[in-house]
Order: sequence, then C-alpha cells, then structure tokens
Amino acid sequence: MFYKWTKNILLTTFALAVLVPSSIVVLGSFKKDVEIYTKPLALPKSWSLDNFRNLIHTGNVFTPFKNSVIVAVFSVFFTLLFASLAAYAISRMTTVTGRVLFILFSLGLAIPGQVNIIPIYHLFVKLHLTNSLLGLILVNIALTLPISIFILTSFFKDIPREMYEVAGIDGAGHLRIYRSIALPLSRPAMGATGIFLFVICWNDLLYPLMLITQLDKKTLPLTLIDFRGEFATSYSMLFTAIMVASIPMVVMYIAMQRTFVAGLTAGAVKG
Amino acid sequence: MKTKGRTSLSALRMGAVTAIAMALVATTITSTQAAATPKFGVACTTEGVSTGTSTTSLVCQKNSAGKLVWANVRLGQSTGKPVAALTAAAGTIEFHHFRPEDKAVFQTIIDRFQAANPGTHINQVIMNSGDYTNLAYARISANPKAAVFVTVRGGQFAQFYNGGLLKDLSAERFVKQNVIQSALTPGTVGDKVYGVPYQSLFNDPLYNAEMFAKNGWTVPTTWTQTLAFCKKVKAAGIIPFAWPAATRGNAGQILNSFLMNSAPDLATLTSRIAAIDTGKADLTSDWFTDIANKYKAMNDAGCFPPNVTGYTDVVAPADFAAGKAAIYPTGTFGMSTVTNLNPSMKGKIKLMSLITVDTKPLYEGITNNTFILSVNAKSSARDQNIARAFISFLATAPIAQLYAVGTSQHVSIINVDYSANIDLLNTSDIMGKKLLLAPRFLFNNVGTVRNPLEDALIAIGGGADVTKTLADSSKTIKQGLGA
Amino acid sequence: MAIPAVAVYSFLYLYPAIQNLAYSFERWDGVTKPQYVGLHNFTYLATNDDLFRKIVGNNIRFTLIVVIFQTALSLLFATFLLKNTKTTILLRVIYFFPTILSSVSVGLIWTFLYNPNFGFLNASLKAIGLNKFALNWLGDSKYSLYAIALTQVWFHTGQMVIIYVAGLQQIPADLYEAAEVDGATRWQQFKNITWPMALPTTAVVVAYTTIQSFRAFDLVYSMTQGGPLNSSDLIVTSIYNTAFSSFKYGYASAQSIVLIVVVLLVTWLQRRTLRIDYGVK
Repeated sequence: MFYKWTKNILLTTFALAVLVPSSIVVLGSFKKDVEIYTKPLALPKSWSLDNFRNLIHTGNVFTPFKNSVIVAVFSVFFTLLFASLAAYAISRMTTVTGRVLFILFSLGLAIPGQVNIIPIYHLFVKLHLTNSLLGLILVNIALTLPISIFILTSFFKDIPREMYEVAGIDGAGHLRIYRSIALPLSRPAMGATGIFLFVICWNDLLYPLMLITQLDKKTLPLTLIDFRGEFATSYSMLFTAIMVASIPMVVMYIAMQRTFVAGLTAGAVKG
Repeated sequence: MKTKGRTSLSALRMGAVTAIAMALVATTITSTQAAATPKFGVACTTEGVSTGTSTTSLVCQKNSAGKLVWANVRLGQSTGKPVAALTAAAGTIEFHHFRPEDKAVFQTIIDRFQAANPGTHINQVIMNSGDYTNLAYARISANPKAAVFVTVRGGQFAQFYNGGLLKDLSAERFVKQNVIQSALTPGTVGDKVYGVPYQSLFNDPLYNAEMFAKNGWTVPTTWTQTLAFCKKVKAAGIIPFAWPAATRGNAGQILNSFLMNSAPDLATLTSRIAAIDTGKADLTSDWFTDIANKYKAMNDAGCFPPNVTGYTDVVAPADFAAGKAAIYPTGTFGMSTVTNLNPSMKGKIKLMSLITVDTKPLYEGITNNTFILSVNAKSSARDQNIARAFISFLATAPIAQLYAVGTSQHVSIINVDYSANIDLLNTSDIMGKKLLLAPRFLFNNVGTVRNPLEDALIAIGGGADVTKTLADSSKTIKQGLGA
Repeated sequence: MAIPAVAVYSFLYLYPAIQNLAYSFERWDGVTKPQYVGLHNFTYLATNDDLFRKIVGNNIRFTLIVVIFQTALSLLFATFLLKNTKTTILLRVIYFFPTILSSVSVGLIWTFLYNPNFGFLNASLKAIGLNKFALNWLGDSKYSLYAIALTQVWFHTGQMVIIYVAGLQQIPADLYEAAEVDGATRWQQFKNITWPMALPTTAVVVAYTTIQSFRAFDLVYSMTQGGPLNSSDLIVTSIYNTAFSSFKYGYASAQSIVLIVVVLLVTWLQRRTLRIDYGVK
C-alpha cells in the first residue's frame, strides 16, 4: 500500500514537473506579460495570436528558422553519408586499417568537442568561414562523425556476413554492396541516428555563439539568447519564440516517437 | 494539502490582480501636459518636460517662487544659426556602417538626398557590429569609394585616426553650427573635429513621472535625498529602483552614475579607472570601497527589490511598466522596451540624474554615442565632396528628426523637433545638463577586470559583505591579469 | 570509402585538437604574435588561479550531483514504468519530452520558474506553506549551481529512464518469480536482482550523464552566465570567457587541456568502480 502510494505520488510529481512548465510556455505564448506573471497556468483571456504576429514583425524569426533548418538538414545529411561510408568500411575491413580507423574515431568520443572551440575559431577566421552557414555545417559534421560512426559500425557489424557475400559473388564492388545491401538494411539505424544528430544540430549554441555575429546568419538558439540580451524584452515574446523554435522537434517527436526515442537513446547506449 | 495550496495561491493571485487593476486605473488619469500649449512664463504641470532641443525650446521648471512654469531650456548650443545642407557633386560613393536596424531609415534619407542632388548616388554597405569592429579598418582603408563611414567611440575611432583615414571637419560650418557642441567630444582629437557623433544615448535612470506626481514625490538631487527617497517609496509598497542586478550588462548602467561624481575631476577619474584596469590599483582602494559602500547603502535603504541578485532585465522593465517600480535605472534605450510592455506608459517616462554626492555634483548625467560619422581622407576630392554634403544633409534638423523618430533615439543635431515621439521629447532636456561620456566603457579589460568588478558591485548591492567581496574580487582580477 | 569522413574529421577535429595543445604552451591575445611560454599556463593554473580551481570544484560538484540524482531518479522511475501498459508508455513519453527541447529554451524557461519574486516555483512553495524553501535560486551564490543542476536533472532524466527501461526489460522475469516464491521483499529483489543485473546499463547512464554534465555550457550561459561571483561557472564556460572576453587564447587552451584530463580521469574512475566494460571493447 505504502509502496503503491509513494510510487504514484512520485510518478505524478515528475509528470507534473514536466507538464506544468511546458503548459506555462504554451499558454504564455498567447498571453500578455501581465497575465504570465500573475496567472501563469490559467487559460489565456483570449487566444490571441498577437505575440506570434509581433514576433514575425519585429523579431524576424523567419531568417533564423530558415538558417537552423539549412544547418541541421545539411549537417545531418552529410554526417550520415560520410559516417555510413566509413562505418561500412570499418565493419568490412578485417585488416589493421579498420582497427586503426576505429580507434582514431574513438578518440573523438573521449574528447568533448567543446575543447576545440579556440583552434576552430582561429582556423575559421583564417578560412573566412565565420558568419557562414557552411562553417557551421562543417563543424557539426566534424563533431558528430565519431558518435555516428560508432553507432553505425556496431549496426553494420550485426549484418550477417552471408548477406554481403551473396552480393560479393556477383563481383560487385564495395560501393555497390554499400548502396544495394548495407544502406537499405540500415534504414532504421540511419533514421534513429539522423534524429539524434538533428536534435544536436538544431539545439547547438556554443559554436554558433562563437562563429556567428551577423544578424542574417543567426540560428534559433542564438536568437533566443538575444531575446535576453542587453536590450531586454518580455516573457510573452520569449515564450512565443521558444514555441516557434521547438515546434519542428515536437511535431517530429509526435509523428515518429519510436525512431526518436531509439535515436536519442542509441546515442547514449552506443556511446 | 492540495486544496489549501490552491486557495492561498489564488489569494496570491488576487493580490496581484488588485495591484494591476490599480495600476490600470492610475494610467487612465491621462496627463494634461499634451493638451496645454507651452508658452514662456505660463504655468505647466509636469516638471522636466521640454519641447525640444532648439534655442527656442521651453522646459517645465520651478521658478524662484517654487511654481512650475515654462522656462527657456538650457540646452546644448551650437555656435550659430544652423546652415542648410551642402550640394553634392554627381557621382557614386559608399556609406559603410554597422546598423542593420537603421537600414530602412537611412535609405529613406538617402533617397531624399539623391532627389535633392540629381546624379549623386550613395550605396549603403552594412556589416553587423562584431564584424565591423574586426574588419572595417582593413576594408575601408583599402577602398577609397567608402567615402563616408562610421566609427565607434574610443578604440576604433583612434585606430582610424592613427591610420590617417579621417578628414578634418573642423572648418565645416555645419559642424560648428548644426551640431550640439558638447556632443562633439568623442569625434575630437586635440582641438580638431574628425567626426560627427550622430546618435545620442543617455545611460541615466528612467522614472515614472506620473507616479511621482501622484504621490507628491520629487526627484532626489543629492545622495542623502536618494536614500531617504528609497525609504519613503518602499514604505509606500513600491520598488524604488528596479535595478536588473541579475543581468550584468544592464546592471552595470548605474555604475556610470556612481563613477561620474566619484573623483574631483575627469582626469583623476580616468587615471583611477586606468589604474584598476591595468592592475596598478585594486578594488580595496578607498575610492572604490567608497563606491561599493554606496551600493550597500542603497541596498540597506531598501532601494532595490528583494532578492535583487535574481532580478533580471526581463522582470525589471516589466515591473516599471506595470507601475510596481518608481525608477528603472538603465537608459534611454530602455524606453521602447517599457512602452512596448505597456503602451500607456508613453509620455510618462522621464530621465533623472542619479547623484551620489551631497556636494555640488561635477556631472549631472551620462551620455554615450553609438557611432561617429566621418569622411574618408583617402577618397578622391569629388567623393569627399559628396560625403561632406551627405553628412551636412544628415545634420539638418528635418533629416535628423526623421532619423531620431525612426530609430527612437536622440541625435546630437540642434533644433530637432521630437514632438512626434513624446518620450524622446520628454527626455530631451537631459541634453542641457552637464554630461559625462559613459565612464564604464573606460575599462578596456572587459573579461578580466570589468566583469568581476561589476559582479562584485552586484553582490554588494545584493547584501554581500563589502570588505570580503572586494578583497576576493581583487584577488580574482589580479590573478586574471597575471595569467 | 572512409576518405571523406577521415578528411573532415582530421581537418576539423584532430588537427584543431593538436593545435589546441600547441596553443596551451603559448601566451596569445589573438592579435599580436603568439609567444612560447612553455608550461607557464599550466603552472599558473595549478598554483596561482584560485578562480579556476573553484570552477573545477564547481564542475566536479555539479557532475556528482547530477550523476547521483539523475541516475537514482531514472532507475527508480524505470522500475515503476517497467511494464508496457498504456499509462506507463504515456508517462515515458511525457518524461522523455524535455530531451527534445533545446538547452537554451530549457534554460530560459527555468529562469522564469526560478524567479525569486514572482516565479512559479516560489509561488508554489509558498502556496503549500514551504516559505522557507522559497529561495533566491539563481541570484544567490549558495544555490545557483544546485539550481542549474536541478534543471539539468529535469532536462535529461526522461532520456535515462528510457535507457534503463530498455536495460531492465532484458532481465529474465523468472528471476523475480523465483524470488517472490522465496518470499523476498521488494527491497531484497531490487538489491539482489535488479541492481546487479542493471549494472551494465547503470554504467552507460553514468558515463553519458557525466559527459553531458561536463558539456552543460548552454544551460549556464542562458541562466546565470556563471554568476553570481562565478558560483555557477563550469570549465567550459570558463574556457569560453577566458578566450572570448579576456582574449587569453593560450591560457584558455590550457584550461581545455585540463578539461580533457578531468573527463578522462572521471571516466576511468567510473569504469574502475563499476567494473564494467561498455562501448569500446
């Protein structure tokens, strides 16, 4: 009895701890500031879209939104492409090279990507890659390659050797085997990894903060940070901006829950 | 447990609702100021309101009998009657600046300039401020077509001056006669003017003039009065100073006011700041301890809201806009934040001087300017002619007014009519006071010195022990400078 | 086939990492020519920089708190949510939700909740009579680090619950059935079956949480920027500030080398204590 009660109370508390702040944000995006401060959890007096209109009008969220989409989509695409190629090679190579490559990329797992901010910054200044979406994409690819290769290698290793050999007999090259056998088989793993990478790229702050200063190149997390900048603004606008920034993730989460959970936990389990 | 929670939570809400209802009632008592036509010597109602920055402007002031009347405003002066814009030669030049937010206003102005000077074209080249700091010098020095450009006060202006890129504008009549002379300092080297500081900010506390009038409060003008004011206002249930101590950038604005009267003269102040900035002196010096003690005194007097170190610059303007705070100590740039939060605050915001001495103050306010307009000394004579004409065009009152109202900022040009923006109008009388260029920015070591220094003052303003905090932070600064 | 990956990785990961090491032996403000100073940066960090020592301490405390609470909470919730019913699945979905938000959003939302004067947290605490616990969460140097740690736990517990559920579901059900036949209490079952059997998963959770907490730059930056008085500064925020507001690139690089060493040390210690080989074989 006691166990059951404790269990239910604890479970409810944590569920509320997640739901209450989320509701405050969602409801707040329809409210005026005064309402947010006094009754954060009440339904808005009227479901007004003024905040969204204001945000579009003044905050210019379209550009950062577009930038975030460009950076995330290209980063994920190229990381998956490069990582799957490398992972396939590693999983198929029984030679020393395979081992060496694997250890090389494992090094990247041990060193947090954040420690490279200074050399990356100076390198990018030299290459004129600051204030460039391409620069952000390159950094994202480099930072997420190790973990992606790690996840995908373990997946490719699980593909039974016979499946490759069937194709190999026909004299197919590696690239063809990769394309016609490994790639189709690995679709679920690629999807999960892709989501995992998308969340990382979509939400990253540190590198954009350092590399992007130009208004028209800012990504969403940077724009959110600007909201709390030297020239202050209001919580109603802030919550509205948070809503806009989170919508793609929430939609993807609802639509592809399983892949999502698989992706975000694969990163942990494999890494 | 849950029901009890709900009742007291709703009780809490009820209290807040009442407070806001009262604030709303208060805002419906509209100020009669706008309706009465200001006339010299005629009675007025709201102290400090002025009609602009021309030689004929009036300001609402107490006369010798203690009555509020319209008086001649003591404004910044030019050296003569303003002149019309110069005519430009035909040709095309580039205008380099770092204000993407001003792009549209500048384009409107450029279109008018081009209409007045057929055959002349000006193209805006806009970088964001971060890039401008790093790259502008290299780009402009290699590009004579960049005939007119802006620089930032201090380091960048000096960099361009040392590079011989700034044309001497001292002899130009529009510089002498159209620009408020006291505003020229950041663009001056020795006795020569190399640039026109165009936009003016005032990093002085904003106050709710209507609330002051309703409660019969007067703006404190000495340190003792300030502390007494805090006690009185706090007792009335209002936050005296909505100081956003949790956000360093804006929390540091009042440091300007604390610095401005902390030394016998500007040279002493400058050298004291330099001494701390370079590690020759530390925060435990008598001078700085005195400043820190004043932060403590303000906290002791109840000037700040409870838990002020958790009070962010999102909350502070909201409290000020909702009528829960009397003063929002940041600067003119905070006015639009406040009026966006509560449009009925329009016309009720004024600027005050935060005086931290009981003797006659050396300075009565803080100013800063965002950019300085200059002509490229390496451009061709024809392009320089266009550039000069363009600056002279910007220095005429109607155009400066267009810019001021379009960007909601004051400009350093004489005779600008701010009546299209009542908040600019109401705060423009600050230009007549004795102002100091924001001294906070004299600290060059932002990361190593200014940030820990301001953090220490924030902690002390929040109730931390003065001696211990200053000693600890001095150590941090010393070790940081040595690294 | 691995050529593109190797190229990008070497150029933008390994090469910078090596350069980082080189910088750490230099004094460099980013403008004038770098000056080789040998081990000076490291000796100064170790012997002269009290602030950095405090920050390393902050980071270790932060990591410990987050690892202990997040692991304990997620293991607890996972045991509650082990069976696949409609309710448990719904709860798992809810718990996991914060994980998909950006850390900046989470930081800004929690800054609102933590506001000492009108924030939701204090209002709720006062409403249930716990006025004593209505603190100046982010504004007081005594609490700021813990307040951010709590946010971090809120942020990632759901993710760990899912990992644990996946791990715990691998434990054969007949083990519990046998224990119940023997009359073992719930606690005995947990101690003798769940905990030892879940040890590999625990190792994963602990390792991942550790890495996450060493990377908590975004939360600190969006909530306190390290303040008040550096009480919530972590190593990564210190590196960022040293490099980009104090312009001491060499010194900041030395700090990042310290970070690598600390991370490797902590990971190694964890592997020793949990005696589990996860990931790389």
